[in-house]
Amino acid sequence: MNVVHSAHTDETPGLSRLYVGMLLFLLSESFLFGNLFWTYYYLKAKTPVWPPQDVVLELPLIALNTAILLLSSVTMQMAVNSAQRENRRATVRAMILTMLLGGVFLFIKGWEWMHVDFQPWDHAYGSVFFTLTGFHGLHVLAGLILVAGLTIRTIRVPEILPLHIEVGGLYWHFVDLVWIFVFTSLYIIR
Amino acid sequence: MRVFFALGLVRAIIGGLIGAGIGMGLVAAIRLAAGLPAWNPAPATMVGTFTGLLGFLIGVGALSGWLRWVGGGKEDEQDARKSRLPDWTRYFSFDTNHKVIGIQYMVTSLIFMFFAGPLGIADRVKNMAPGPWVLDPGTYNSAISVHGITMLAVTLIGISGMMNYLLPLMIGARDMAFPRLNAFSYWVIPPAGILLVLSFFVGGHDTGWTAYPPLSVKAPLGMQFMLLGFYIAGLSSILGGVNLITTIFKMRAPGMGFFRMPVFVWSTLATAFLQMTFTQFVGMAFLMVALERVLGFGFFAPEKGGNVILYQHLFWFYSHPAVYIFVIPGLGVISEIVPVFSRKPLFGYKAVAISSPGIALGGSFVWGHHMFAAGIEDWLRIPFMFTTLLVAVPTGVKVFGWLSTMWLGKLRLATPFLFVLTAIVVFVVGGLTGVVQGIVPADLHITDTYWIVAHFHSTLFGGFVFPMMAAIYYWFPKVTGRMLRESLGKIHWALMSLGFLLLYGPMFVVGLLGMRRRIYDFDPSQPFQSWNIASAIGSGLVAISMLFLVANILLSVRRGALAPDNPWRSRTLEWQVASPPPEDNFEELPQVHDDPYGYGVAGSVHAVLPETGGHTGNR
Repeated sequence: MNVVHSAHTDETPGLSRLYVGMLLFLLSESFLFGNLFWTYYYLKAKTPVWPPQDVVLELPLIALNTAILLLSSVTMQMAVNSAQRENRRATVRAMILTMLLGGVFLFIKGWEWMHVDFQPWDHAYGSVFFTLTGFHGLHVLAGLILVAGLTIRTIRVPEILPLHIEVGGLYWHFVDLVWIFVFTSLYIIR
Repeated sequence: MRVFFALGLVRAIIGGLIGAGIGMGLVAAIRLAAGLPAWNPAPATMVGTFTGLLGFLIGVGALSGWLRWVGGGKEDEQDARKSRLPDWTRYFSFDTNHKVIGIQYMVTSLIFMFFAGPLGIADRVKNMAPGPWVLDPGTYNSAISVHGITMLAVTLIGISGMMNYLLPLMIGARDMAFPRLNAFSYWVIPPAGILLVLSFFVGGHDTGWTAYPPLSVKAPLGMQFMLLGFYIAGLSSILGGVNLITTIFKMRAPGMGFFRMPVFVWSTLATAFLQMTFTQFVGMAFLMVALERVLGFGFFAPEKGGNVILYQHLFWFYSHPAVYIFVIPGLGVISEIVPVFSRKPLFGYKAVAISSPGIALGGSFVWGHHMFAAGIEDWLRIPFMFTTLLVAVPTGVKVFGWLSTMWLGKLRLATPFLFVLTAIVVFVVGGLTGVVQGIVPADLHITDTYWIVAHFHSTLFGGFVFPMMAAIYYWFPKVTGRMLRESLGKIHWALMSLGFLLLYGPMFVVGLLGMRRRIYDFDPSQPFQSWNIASAIGSGLVAISMLFLVANILLSVRRGALAPDNPWRSRTLEWQVASPPPEDNFEELPQVHDDPYGYGVAGSVHAVLPETGGHTGNR
């Protein structure tokens, strides 16, 4: 996350620059996932049998995982609300809960990676599957680092930063939103 | 010695080497544990690249500011340590001032240009005669490929330099919206450039800059260095784009409405938008090829159910907008310089301003025209042909705006303006030949011939190289406080313009006659050779002209005539502060009243500066 240099605080009125910057960055990120979804649907359209016949995915487990990730969005929003009410304890608690839920999501995702019966180098479907879920996982990891940074800062400094936490929350919600598209594409539409 | 080890660059290189070593060691350890031979260059260098990048960034101190913030520490500890070092060390260290970063970008761009340029000239020399000569085929292929991709990086870095230096000054801001992110965006560039240069020496690659699979999957190790190098350069583009747009949205001086901004700022807005969004595509596409090379993924491998054309879609979806990333800032520079040297208001200011986002928007829907001959669906050809021809409209608006501004103006033929005049002519040549290529039947004839090479070099010389030279001559007094020498500048201009015509004029001819690009040899029975010799001479002239630029800069930066604050009598804000500008640009923010192009219009004022009581009217 970025911090504004203290000497330069003359902004054009409106949304804070931190907020604008994050929205633009998320627009950019949506192009990254756009690339991967393009790859997925292009190959799907060009391939007679998609996914390959022996591919079996754990739909119930991943549905549970989806619920866990969505729950983490709720706790993240609780952190944002607590920060706006200047309640440090509740903010920190909600952010730690968010990180725990994010960690559980990554753990289950990793378990799935170990147990699916195909490898990324077996066929194009495997390559897209692992790249798409892998890049989403990397973004969850980046979100974890971001929230961890905000948590440490909130613990160590008495002054609370609602704007920074809200902008961090934007990123977290975005990663969840992307997962809904990944889940729909890979597990429901297939 | 103490100063030497305090330099960010030195620490960064040490950190990068340590990081790369750790990464490669890690791969070797994992391979040993898995019972494989310890050394395999592809995975080792791939992991080493990323750990090396991390080490480089840690070494230069790019991450320490954020880490200190997380820890709740003081913001200015580093500044205090830095202030004990001599001033020149700022340019070799992690510095958050946008003017320092702008100069860093520009110098880096020129350094890599002097690596990539000679590679192109070597190929021109080889083409003076058929058959084996001077270069062997492998080196020839590597030279064109590395020349291409490195020059693209040079262009990206060069426009970043111009935009970083000028944007905050032009909109009346004290710095960028995110200064630390800005410095971070610069410091990922040196590792990217090092990788691109190294790619030539670790086997090179023979795919051209486009890296089409399946050839790129089988190419030597240099391919991987090129893919990852450009991927990292793309990271800089993305973050830089976010930063530039936020700066335009949030940091404008009071009264600076969107239709009071200089056209260069509009160009920056359009460019930054393209950078920030489309670069993700080339990044992912290159990374997918790298994954296919190292881990055997199957996106583009037909035997695994992949699709080769898919790569071309993903690649050109970025790489066509990329050419607009390269030229739009240059067109902005032209729009700035033409009114100043014509002493007339910019004709159709609003139309010229809007045409930059117009080009960006139109250029986003034309990528298929690179694939007319590649086997895409027939029904896709016609829509892509029409969108391609449509882009000529906003581009034409700009050219007509410039010509009408000059019409009946009081022209002053100083070096920056001379370069602008050449740029306009060359860009029109590049643009019109592009319209020809956009038409499907014509394209099927000239695909992959030297016509294409001549066309895109014309757009890039007209849209980037000549405007950048104009920008250097125009803004050098502002940046350094010294004037460049007009005599050397005019020799540079004359040699470069003449050299350009000799270099690319013949390529149009041999292209139409059917000479293929990217091929080592040519048919001696065809009338190609004399044209190729002329082309080689032209490339030599361009190279010699660049030496005049270097000599001029070296002579003038210390002993040139002192520059006044506003030597060209311009109205934009960067000329209203001292030369070179003070650390925070504006003591008090200017108050903006109108667009900056009211030259000769009675009573028009662009901005009033409270600190000096001066304003930008009546000049």
